[in-house]
Amino acid sequence: MCSVGDDFDNQTEKLMQKATLTKLSDTCNKCRAEKPCIVLRGKDTYCKNCFLINTVHKFKASLGKSRLIHLNDRVLVWYQIGHPSVALLHFLRTGLDLSTPKKLRFHPIILFVYDQYQLNNKEGKELIENAKRIVSSFGFDCNFISFADYVSNPENVPNLLNSESLFAENDIEKLNLVIHKTSSRTNRNDIKSLLRKKLLIDVAKYWKCKFVFTPEISIDIASNLLSNISLGRGSHVSIDTGFCDDRDDEVRILKPLRQFDMKELALYNNFNRLESLSVRKSAVNPYSSVQDLMAKFVIELQKDFPATVTTIVKTGDKLSLDKNAEVKCKLCKGPVSVSDDLVTSQQSTNFSRFVSNELVDCNKSRQERFSTICNKFDQTNNENELLCYSCTRIYGNFML
Amino acid sequence: MPSKCSAKCGRNAVLKRPKTGDSLCKECFFEAFENEVHFTVTKAKLFKPNTTVAIGASGGKDSTVLAYVLKLLNEKYDYKLKLFLLSIDEGITGYRDDSLDTVKQNRDDYDIPLKILSYKDLYGWTMDEIVAEIGRKNNCTFCGVFRRQALDRGANLLKVDYLATGHNADDIAETVLMNILRGDVARLSRCTSIITDSGDGIPRVKPLKYCYEKEIVMYAYFRKLVYFSTECVFAPNAYRGHARILLKDLEKIDPAVIMNIIHSGETMKVSEHSKMPTLTKCTRCGYVSSQEICKACVLLEGLNKGLPRLGIGKSSKVKRILEENEKLKGASCNGEDNKCLCSGNDLKPSKFNDLKI
Repeated sequence: MCSVGDDFDNQTEKLMQKATLTKLSDTCNKCRAEKPCIVLRGKDTYCKNCFLINTVHKFKASLGKSRLIHLNDRVLVWYQIGHPSVALLHFLRTGLDLSTPKKLRFHPIILFVYDQYQLNNKEGKELIENAKRIVSSFGFDCNFISFADYVSNPENVPNLLNSESLFAENDIEKLNLVIHKTSSRTNRNDIKSLLRKKLLIDVAKYWKCKFVFTPEISIDIASNLLSNISLGRGSHVSIDTGFCDDRDDEVRILKPLRQFDMKELALYNNFNRLESLSVRKSAVNPYSSVQDLMAKFVIELQKDFPATVTTIVKTGDKLSLDKNAEVKCKLCKGPVSVSDDLVTSQQSTNFSRFVSNELVDCNKSRQERFSTICNKFDQTNNENELLCYSCTRIYGNFML
Repeated sequence: MPSKCSAKCGRNAVLKRPKTGDSLCKECFFEAFENEVHFTVTKAKLFKPNTTVAIGASGGKDSTVLAYVLKLLNEKYDYKLKLFLLSIDEGITGYRDDSLDTVKQNRDDYDIPLKILSYKDLYGWTMDEIVAEIGRKNNCTFCGVFRRQALDRGANLLKVDYLATGHNADDIAETVLMNILRGDVARLSRCTSIITDSGDGIPRVKPLKYCYEKEIVMYAYFRKLVYFSTECVFAPNAYRGHARILLKDLEKIDPAVIMNIIHSGETMKVSEHSKMPTLTKCTRCGYVSSQEICKACVLLEGLNKGLPRLGIGKSSKVKRILEENEKLKGASCNGEDNKCLCSGNDLKPSKFNDLKI
């Protein structure tokens, strides 16, 4: 049905604003003196100096605001391919080297997770060499672990860390032993991200780190948020895409770059002459999985509506966890929400599945038929109380 | 070889359900579909017995199927409901003329009384007249705002206990996505409710909330129900478009996404720290609104004062103009006997109370 009017009230003009062309200022937005050299958000102009100061400040503010990290805490930093990770290393190095009160006072440990299975041997070796070189240029040691090896043997973290062989011919088979071959690409992606999170937490525990830094930026947050909504993880938005994921009792996963966009960090790297890690990637059909489609959707919408990403991120910030949920999902460790609605989408789907596979006795009256079905349905306990809605969906693809 | 019906009745399947992926024959699909609506109605306690229910009827597939199924369930499961069809005539030539014929056909086919209220009755303007004033760019704003209230006002007029609308699962999922894209947390938190209240004590209920659009079309097709399937001639423009296209693409990847999104919407909790707009009642018409004067009254004021773009732009600007108009009241146009002081002509009825129906 036409649902145009269902969305209207007096505030619509504020929502989903279209891109507009504005005249740019001749001076830096911040110092109002220097000639600007970059434009952010399509309208704000900055000179090089103010931009660099602002960017560093933004990073520190996101850490400072949370007040989570204390003196001499150990922090595991997940180093990844691309601009954001390099900028993160630079933020850390310059922050640690300060002699002012703003000095960072924790100990970062850098970890590179090898999971680039599209690369051949030579390219793989090159990637690892480059990673080592870049990380050591900041005065950090780079630690390595193979994702496939971890997945096939998660108990063996101490031996896997910095092992000689980071990739092997049978890496994909190792993954297929854990994630069922027939799983859809959507489910594979979902399972992989759960496993990656588990890997980071396990390594952090082994090295006694209380925190993990991951390098997601705003556009990753926005598309992850929408993907998670589409996978039924709506109740976990605040931990999945919020600043702090504290579902593990010992290790917290923080996303210190979640307010940055790619342009900011790419320019930051460019001004500081930082080299970032890049690899050959295989082409992905955006319609092959929910996650790929969401990434494409957010990028395209962002072009016409420049507030898209920030709006989605801010919407996520306004959501919280269900306080009434006591049970933790045994797969994702997020709370299993208990709905106070009389009927839920999960129940409805289960009922639909049930009635579609139930032979009815045509000799009985309609009312009798329905009550027989209802009684039978109530007896079959469809819901696994130890798994959250979304993990019930992927549990079958997962061979633990 | 055609696959067999999943319900093991022995017949050949004629369709594959997007909701569950099961293959069903016609008879088992009918029974399953109807049982599911009945399941939703009874579990969610949508209706109390011995009450009257107005079914918002547009002549489209959703409301046609809703009317048919409610009528059928009412008889088979003895809901003891008195059903009405309630239609709104926006006055769009070539769209409503034909679809209202469909609604009239539904009235005769299902033997449910029908009440048609026109925008002309309720607001003094037809959509065709509004388009002549405003052009085609923003007309969907008027149509949508007026229709939403029109159904409520109509329900009030008919003194019904419930207003049932044909919103389906796709509509709800799309709304969840759109509210996230627009950052509208207040709507996000209530858009998945199966029962909502618009302030007049008449609950709006959505019995087809868990029915896939595709299955509704299949049901109408196999039941040979008469429905009207033409886009509005003014074609609702891109407003919802992004969310709609996204949802259709997602459905192609995995149809279960629709129920997943509804689940997400149902279980999401808004943080206690985030500010939510407070809902009050419009000082002019009493309709529930987040502002002092509701959108419909603002748009109407614009039309009646010859400022049709009022209410399209910023609300601060609207407020200023309304205040100025308020000052001029009595001094200029709007005389006490509802005649224009300048021309002496009758003013168009702008308030609900002015209506004689």
